[in-house]
Amino acid sequence: MTQTVVLWLLGALAVAGAVTVVTTREVMRLALGLGVFLLALAGLFALFGFGFLAVAEVFVYVGGVLILLLFAIMLVHRATPGEPSLTSRHDPFAAVACAALGILFVIVVRPVFPAASGVATSSVDDMGALLLGDMLPHFELVGVLLLAALVAVISITGGEGE
Amino acid sequence: MSVLILSATLFALGLYGVLTRRDFVGVLASIEVLIGAPLLLLVGLGAAFGGGAGIEAVGLLVIVLAAAEAAVGLALVVAVAGRTRTTRVEELTEVRG
Repeated sequence: MTQTVVLWLLGALAVAGAVTVVTTREVMRLALGLGVFLLALAGLFALFGFGFLAVAEVFVYVGGVLILLLFAIMLVHRATPGEPSLTSRHDPFAAVACAALGILFVIVVRPVFPAASGVATSSVDDMGALLLGDMLPHFELVGVLLLAALVAVISITGGEGE
Repeated sequence: MSVLILSATLFALGLYGVLTRRDFVGVLASIEVLIGAPLLLLVGLGAAFGGGAGIEAVGLLVIVLAAAEAAVGLALVVAVAGRTRTTRVEELTEVRG
């Protein structure tokens, strides 16, 4: 019972953050909305029993990606007084298409979804053993991908003139 | 079941943001919402099936992939904004056929 209430509270928070990200006209509110969304998501992960994933989400997203986004905003955004700093081209057809895709999402996944909700029992020991055991190729590939992303970022932003 | 509806709602919201935002930063933030929604579904399904370490490991890999995507995307934003002096998506028509 308590789990359902907390689930809906955190879900409402996540949806509120997402709505802010999609509709706000102020760039700092967008960053704040994204922060609320990501923290609510981390709370949901913790609620389902994935504590380590929740901590990783907070570290990587709130501590990394959100700060990176703020840096990008500070570097590139020029605020003109009296004008909204972010604009959208709201379109009813896009809204209908997105709602239809969301409903399709529910219809497709619903048959495999078990009726009972549960809490996972996951330990960091098991996950570490799995990541460095059976999933070692995946783990290594993600490491290579991160290195490639690092090189790409350096060459995209600082590769001129040499 | 409620987590499925929540995830679908977030997915639709993120997709709407990607389609209608006119600003790079807004599009990138919407993509983050779009990636978060399936991750929530993965976690909810994993918990419903009583999954353990495997789900958590896959979730961790997804988080790392999304972080790499965000880093490259923001680097592109900074590079393009530095070159063209704009952050609006529709003003970039250089490679239009």
